[in-house]
Amino acid sequence: MSIRLAGVAIFLVAALYAWTAQDYTASFGDVLGPSVFPVMVGIPAMALALSLVVFPGGSVSWPSGPRLLRQAMALAALIAYALLLEPLGFPLATAAVIAAVAMVLDGPAIKSVLIGIAGSLSLWVLFDQLLGLPIDFLGTLFGG
Amino acid sequence: MEILTSLGLGFSVAVQPLHLALLLFGCFAGTLIGAMPGLGPVNGVAILIPLTFAFGFDATASLILLSAVYFGCMYGGRISSILLNIPGDEPAVMTTLDGYPMAQKGQAANALAISGVASFVGATVAIVGLTLFAPLLARAAIYFGPADYFALYVMAFATIGGLAGVDPRKTLLSALIGLMIATIGLDPATGIPRYTGGSFDLYDGIDPIVALVGLFAISELMFLLEKTIKDRDTAIKLDTWIPDLKVVFGTGWATVRGSVVGFVAGVLPGAGASLGAVMSYSIEKQVSNKNGSFGKGDPKGVAAPEAGNNSASAGALIPMLSLGVPGSGTTAVMLAMLISLNVQPGPLLFERQPDLVWGLVASLYMANVMLLVLNLPLIGLFTRLMAVPTWALMPLVVAISFIGVYSISNSTFDLYIMIAFGVLGYVLRKLDITLVPLVLGLLLGADMENNLRRALSISGGDYGVLIASWISIALYIATAAFLALSVWLALRDKKRAADAS
Repeated sequence: MSIRLAGVAIFLVAALYAWTAQDYTASFGDVLGPSVFPVMVGIPAMALALSLVVFPGGSVSWPSGPRLLRQAMALAALIAYALLLEPLGFPLATAAVIAAVAMVLDGPAIKSVLIGIAGSLSLWVLFDQLLGLPIDFLGTLFGG
Repeated sequence: MEILTSLGLGFSVAVQPLHLALLLFGCFAGTLIGAMPGLGPVNGVAILIPLTFAFGFDATASLILLSAVYFGCMYGGRISSILLNIPGDEPAVMTTLDGYPMAQKGQAANALAISGVASFVGATVAIVGLTLFAPLLARAAIYFGPADYFALYVMAFATIGGLAGVDPRKTLLSALIGLMIATIGLDPATGIPRYTGGSFDLYDGIDPIVALVGLFAISELMFLLEKTIKDRDTAIKLDTWIPDLKVVFGTGWATVRGSVVGFVAGVLPGAGASLGAVMSYSIEKQVSNKNGSFGKGDPKGVAAPEAGNNSASAGALIPMLSLGVPGSGTTAVMLAMLISLNVQPGPLLFERQPDLVWGLVASLYMANVMLLVLNLPLIGLFTRLMAVPTWALMPLVVAISFIGVYSISNSTFDLYIMIAFGVLGYVLRKLDITLVPLVLGLLLGADMENNLRRALSISGGDYGVLIASWISIALYIATAAFLALSVWLALRDKKRAADAS
């Protein structure tokens, strides 16, 4: 079933892709133009996706509830990191994401936090102090 | 003679202090990455690429570092196979079959030494092959025109998934998805923005490096979260690292056979190290499994696949360097780095940047010796480091990936792209769609379109030019034959599975 659904999804994306390509036109110079290659890619992709819908191959077992929840929690931590990196500054955000991911992976809470702090500080020293990358210690929230 | 001069130049590049230091670090880090379950050459190399940019290394130094890591992973993969019965990376799967039983019988030191020596021999055979054949292939490839390159890319996409029982439709689909992603951004020939949805952040297209780190590192984290995290598997203790030399050298011929088979598998497009290991194991089994000792701890069953996977991984560098078409997942990732540093592999690379090519080759000879030395007496150190628990290791890997990606453009936009690719990679892998063709499509898409453009502007828009030369015709025939073979194999496997159930 999952394979069929994926086939439908890929088919729709490929169809939209090939359809959108028709609008790309350039009036000058180039023989090929900007739309031919996407159409050449999109149409076989549609055909293959369709074949997966009709003759699905293989089976997929998705993770069960609690595991799915863990994955969602980890993803949330990663997205939060991307959101908060600039406001919070590098060491704080990084320590938090390391600790969060470690805990989602069943690490003991205190040790996870310690690893987060140690890891983030050593990465900060490495990247900011030794390599001279412009990473702020304090984020925009703290006026850094 | 010419080759000796080139090698001499290579060694003069390789012995520069920075290169030597990177080589040693890469060998050490690679062995460690390879030995960690869940981290292998593809994600190890992918994570390190943004770091090489951050350090500001040039293409030669970066390539030396990444190749050392790649080779190190091939050595390291066997350690956890033998001691934990968990392959450190995919090509090391075959090593568990006889390596773990050997360790259970109290012969862990022998198994580790055999695999170390076999890795050394396998890699050396392949590097000698690389030295001899890569320049020849590059010389032949100079005659390739744009239409021939287009055909070569078609072949690469069709074959990269390999023959190993995967539904060929999914492999092709993966490549097409990669090509679709590659067209995002400004069209290089006409300057028209395609598929950007009006976002200026996408005008430059998707940075393949950002996509790669997401596809391999983040999706690996998702996979890890899905599995039960068992209490740490107990590794078989190593009392001594000193092996019984008689046993080690008794596997000589198995090693030689494995090396040759692996090399051939590596050079073929799309096969890579995993197939090299599988093929050398099964051939060795047919040659020397006289009394059914394979699978129960036969030293030859350790030597052959280890020689095979190391030899294949070095062999996979040949098409990557001389044609610009990688022969395996890890070499595809290395290609991404070279393209990002504005180095276009291919036949002209040998003429324009001989110091890079030959510096790399010479470094590989040296890396191999370093790895042998690191892996025999220091094996105890690696087994202890391997015991770092996953919950402590993976978050650090994730943090390093994030910093690396952020340091490329200093924008959080890339971080979101990376996370999105992580989810995409996870879903595709769950659907049994391999990611390597996607990466290849993403990398070579622009070049493929350019070659099509060039071919058509030479012919004035006549599509007949695509099959006008014997080179392209031969490549299309090879592609068709390969696809027919893989469809046949897939159908046969399906029938067998149906018969068995």
